[in-house]
Amino acid sequence: MKGSGLVDAGRRHFNAIALAPSLVVLFVIAGLPAIYLVVTSLTPFQLVNPGSSTDFSSPLRNYRLLPDDPRFVNSLWVQAKLSFWGVLFQVLLGMLLALLLHTQSRIVEFARTFFLIPMVLPPIVVAIIWKLIYTPDISPLYYAASLLNVTMPSLTSSVDFALTAIIIADSWEWLPFTFLMVLAALQTIPDEFSEAALVDGANRLQIFYYVTLPFITPVLVISGMFRLIDSVKAFPLVFLLTGGGPGSVTEVTNYYAYLLAFDFNEIGYSSSVTVVLLLLVVAVSFGVVWMGRRREAMA
Amino acid sequence: MSAGMSGPIRRSASRGRLAAIGATLLVLLSPFLWLLQMSFKSNELILQFPPPLLFKPTLENYTSLWQGAFPASFVNSLMSASFSTALALLLGVPAAYALSRWAGRGRHALGFAILVTRMAPPIAFTIPFFLFYRWIGLLDTVTGLVLVYTSFNLPLVIWMMQPFFETVPPSLEEAALVDGAPIRVIFLEIVLPMVAPGIAATAILCFLYAWNDFFFALILTRTNARTAPVAVVNFMNYEGWEWGKIAAGGSLVMAPVLIFSLAVRRYLVSGLTAGAVKG
Repeated sequence: MKGSGLVDAGRRHFNAIALAPSLVVLFVIAGLPAIYLVVTSLTPFQLVNPGSSTDFSSPLRNYRLLPDDPRFVNSLWVQAKLSFWGVLFQVLLGMLLALLLHTQSRIVEFARTFFLIPMVLPPIVVAIIWKLIYTPDISPLYYAASLLNVTMPSLTSSVDFALTAIIIADSWEWLPFTFLMVLAALQTIPDEFSEAALVDGANRLQIFYYVTLPFITPVLVISGMFRLIDSVKAFPLVFLLTGGGPGSVTEVTNYYAYLLAFDFNEIGYSSSVTVVLLLLVVAVSFGVVWMGRRREAMA
Repeated sequence: MSAGMSGPIRRSASRGRLAAIGATLLVLLSPFLWLLQMSFKSNELILQFPPPLLFKPTLENYTSLWQGAFPASFVNSLMSASFSTALALLLGVPAAYALSRWAGRGRHALGFAILVTRMAPPIAFTIPFFLFYRWIGLLDTVTGLVLVYTSFNLPLVIWMMQPFFETVPPSLEEAALVDGAPIRVIFLEIVLPMVAPGIAATAILCFLYAWNDFFFALILTRTNARTAPVAVVNFMNYEGWEWGKIAAGGSLVMAPVLIFSLAVRRYLVSGLTAGAVKG
């Protein structure tokens, strides 16, 4: 920095003025709500009982109830299943799609854009699309099955298939995300690597395993973690396709917290569920940042 | 690049690969295309199987939407998304510039805080906002939605604009500094024009996130400020199963998104990894 002290002071002054409004607004519309959420989670607040919003007589009551609430424990389990299979499919299929489209061609480059459509659609439209596919009367899927003399059960109201139906829709929606990230990584692999392997007599599978895969593994992990974090937010699909049912087969934690707060009016208890969810998200986010830094350090 | 084009590794697309890509694209997009064609069908046609390959498209679903309450919800969506985008840009762009020129220790911590805000599940903000709005009378207002949307759009702006500012060479600013120009003027007259494409891309992403929101609007609005995504779902609950209208409504909700996102496809990844607030 060759600037004089006066210039530095000017810079600091400007920075303060430029940053302050954002920080204040962020604190008011994100920080305060977060604090309020934690505070509310320490009360037995119910909307029908306004006095309960400031009742701190037994602050950890909600958190003590959580482990013995079968619906909460079940919701974590449902979330785990949804996240695991969803992320697995998205990373795997996204990688395959990226490998397929990693080629030099004007047409393919043009076509790439269309592969992104599921991801940019409003989530509620994605839910509507799959509602159409999963509704027997109007679904081409059920018609095709009837042609093959197969009677398909109603997927979204079947105990065995409801969660699978959501995983399929979720994977369809987010496959383009992992695809985009892997494709970007593939394009940074220097050609010399695979050329050298080819000269050494490696076949395509070996090139993939020994050259390509190690190169894209970090991206696979990072995109998987981003998807893991976002899978916690799966709401429109559950809301529109199954409503958490049948029973609570597809009731993810996010949806359970929603029902608690806005159907059962258990604001305090719902807040504690949400705080747990938030902590999980923060932990995974921290992992993402940490890994990103480590990657930077290694590069 | 050009030297490698004819090499054995440079994967120029073979015919087989092109066919595979075409087939994959068709399969992948078929659910989306199904919705689109359904929006141009009458209700009898929708229930008809096997589906006719050729049919006379009708606009009756769209016209009946136009005559109902749907346009009002469309305007609500438009207003809440536009205003929150404007507010987020107004606050976030100078902040991103300051952060990009700031080598202080707090930068990483601030970056992480912003990331967490983006990653947090919407339900975490919904409960406090709902209670606060109920108290202050902002439930079911566009103003209320604008504030909520700004809570995720502002971090997005700060996150996304920084790399754009980092591409502006410091030598340009230093030259003007030596000439005695105040930083405010440098920022407004030298730096901002150089990052205009970045601002445009960021603005579109903000708009899309707000436009795509379903969860906040579902809880924080009733009738006056109801947005288009919520209105479409209401066709299912209250007006029977009017599939044609549902399909047409869905198509209308996704139309601006498709147009805009094609314009910013290059920036989709950086925007999304800042934590997609969908849902």
